[in-house]
Amino acid sequence: MNLIRWRTQGIDPAREMERLQSEINRLFDLDYTDRSTGIFDRASSPAIDVIEESDGFSVLCDLPGVEQKDVDVSIGNNVLTIKGEKKMSTNSEKAKYFRKDEWFGSFQRTLALPTTVDPEKISADLNDGVLRVHLGKRDEVKPRQITVSVS
Amino acid sequence: MATTTKELETRRTIRPVCNIWEESGTVTLRLEMPGVPKENIDLRVESDHLIVRGNRPQPEENGNYVVRERQWGDFAQSYTLDETIDRERIEAKMEHGVLTVTLHVKEAVKPRKIEVRAR
Repeated sequence: MNLIRWRTQGIDPAREMERLQSEINRLFDLDYTDRSTGIFDRASSPAIDVIEESDGFSVLCDLPGVEQKDVDVSIGNNVLTIKGEKKMSTNSEKAKYFRKDEWFGSFQRTLALPTTVDPEKISADLNDGVLRVHLGKRDEVKPRQITVSVS
Repeated sequence: MATTTKELETRRTIRPVCNIWEESGTVTLRLEMPGVPKENIDLRVESDHLIVRGNRPQPEENGNYVVRERQWGDFAQSYTLDETIDRERIEAKMEHGVLTVTLHVKEAVKPRKIEVRAR
C-alpha cells in the first residue's frame, strides 16, 4: 500500500465565510431541536402518536395512572394542548422503596395542527391510561367522490 | 383471547415502568401498563416466579402515522419471590392503566415483639 502525504488545502476564505454563515443560520433555525415538542415542554412531555385518517386525526397519548379529572385538553389558535398532573400514589413515609421508576408531576404537550382541522370537531377520552383525542377535518377538505356522468 | 401461545412468544415485549415498595408487612408493585384492558392481564405464580404479562390490542391500521413516539409492544416482566412471601395471598387491581399487585409477607417471618416480664 502506498502512503502519500495528505495535503492540506490551506484556508479558503470564501469557504470559511460560508461555513460561518451556515452556523449562524442554524442558530436561528429552531427546527434543529426536537421537531415534535414545543418550546415549553421538554422532559415532562408525554410521548404521542398522531394518526391521520380519512375523516380526521387521532392523537394517542400514554398517561398511565392519570385520572380523567387531572387531564386538560384544549385547542386554541390551531394548537392542541394536552396538560395535566400525575398525582403521587398515596404512600406513607414508612414505605421502603426497592425500585422507583415511576414519574410524578405535571406534564404538558403542545401540538400545532394543520389548518385542515376543524376546532369544533374535537373529542377526547381516557381509557386504560391512554388518552385519545379525535380531531375532525373540515368538511371541505374531506375526500369526496365526484361522479362524472357521461352523456 | 384469540391469540395463541406461539403468537404471544414472538410478539415484542417491553418492561413496564414500576415502583416497588415494602410497607407494614406488604410488598406492593405498581406497574404502568397503559393501553392494556383489565381482561388482558395475565398474572401468575410459577414456582418462585411472579410473572406479569399485559397484552395490548394491535393498533388500528386504517390510517397513516404522522408522529410515532409511543413504544409499541406487550408488557412482560417476571420477578423472583423469596420464601418470605405468602403465595396464597396475592391481590391485584388494574386502574387507569396501572397494575397494582400486593404481596403479603408470611405471618411467621414478620417481626414480633416479645414482652419480657419481670418477676
